[in-house]
Amino acid sequence: MIVNLISMNGLGFYVWLSFGITLASCALVYFKTKKTLRKYEKDFVAELNKLSNSEKKIVLAKSKIANQVFALHKKVV
Amino acid sequence: MFKNFSFNFIYFFIDKTIKFINSIFFIVLAFALTFALILSPPDYLQGDVVRIMYVHVPSAWIGLACYSTIAALSVLYFIFKIKNFILINKSIVSIGFLFTCLAVVTGSIWGQPTWGTWWAWDARLTSMIILMFFYLLYISALKFIKPDNLSTKISSIIAIVGAINIPIIKYSVEWWNTLHQPASIKLNGTSSIHSSMLLPLLLMLLVLLLYSGLIFLMKYKTEIIRIKKKNIKRL
Repeated sequence: MIVNLISMNGLGFYVWLSFGITLASCALVYFKTKKTLRKYEKDFVAELNKLSNSEKKIVLAKSKIANQVFALHKKVV
Repeated sequence: MFKNFSFNFIYFFIDKTIKFINSIFFIVLAFALTFALILSPPDYLQGDVVRIMYVHVPSAWIGLACYSTIAALSVLYFIFKIKNFILINKSIVSIGFLFTCLAVVTGSIWGQPTWGTWWAWDARLTSMIILMFFYLLYISALKFIKPDNLSTKISSIIAIVGAINIPIIKYSVEWWNTLHQPASIKLNGTSSIHSSMLLPLLLMLLVLLLYSGLIFLMKYKTEIIRIKKKNIKRL
C-alpha cells in the first residue's frame, strides 16, 4: 500500500513534486514572515529602551501595544 | 464605533486570531492531505495525477482573489484616502504573489504528464504569467520608489491597471481555444466535479486560506509595529 501511495502508478513524481514545492514554499514564507516580525518587535523594544525612564513609563502606560511587545520581549530574553 | 477599530483593538484581535489559527491548522492540514493524497479516487482519464488539482486550483483562486482585493482597495484608497487600505495591500501582496507562482509551477508540473509538455503559450497560462508580472511590478513599486506617498500612488495605479487582466484570466478558456480545460466548478450553475473530489478540494482550499490568513495577520502586525516605532515619541 505504501509503495502504491508513493509511486501512484508511475505518476507519483509529479504529484509529490507539486505537493512538496507547495508545502516547502509555504513553510519558507511562514518562517521568513515570523523572523521579520520578531526583528521589528526587537527594534521596537530597542527604540523604547533609548527613551528615558519617565518617557518609557508614559509610553508603556499609554500604549497597550508597546506594553505587550515589551512584555513579550522580556519573556523571550 | 470607530474607537473599536483603533490599532490597539486590531492588534489584540490579530493576536487572538493567530493563536486560534495555530491551534487548528495542523489538524485541518492532516485531514486535507489524507483526503487529497489517499482517500480521493484517481480520475478515470488522468489517473493519480489529478491530485495536483488539490494544490493547483486553490493556489490559482487565492492568487486571483488577492489581486482583486488589492485592486479594489487601491480604487477605494484613491476615493477615500484611507491609508489602512495600503497597509492591508502591503500585507496581502506577498501571499498573492506566492500563490500565483505556485499555480503556475504546479500547473506546469501537471501539464507534462497530461499534455506532454511543461509549458505552452496558451491564453490561460500566458494571462497567469502576466498576473505574476503585475504582482512583481506592484512589489517593486512599493519597495524601490521613494518617497512613500509617491510609491503608494504608483503601486495603486499599477494594481488598478492590472485588474484588466482578471476577467481575461477568468474567461480566457471560453474566449480562445486553449489547452487548459474550462472551469469544472461554477457558483451559478451545475459543477461537473464529483463530490469525492470536491471535498478534498474544499479542504485544501480551507488549509491554504487559513495559511494565507496567518501570513496576512503576521504581516499586518509587523506593519502596525513599524508605524508605532516611527511614532514612538508621540505615543
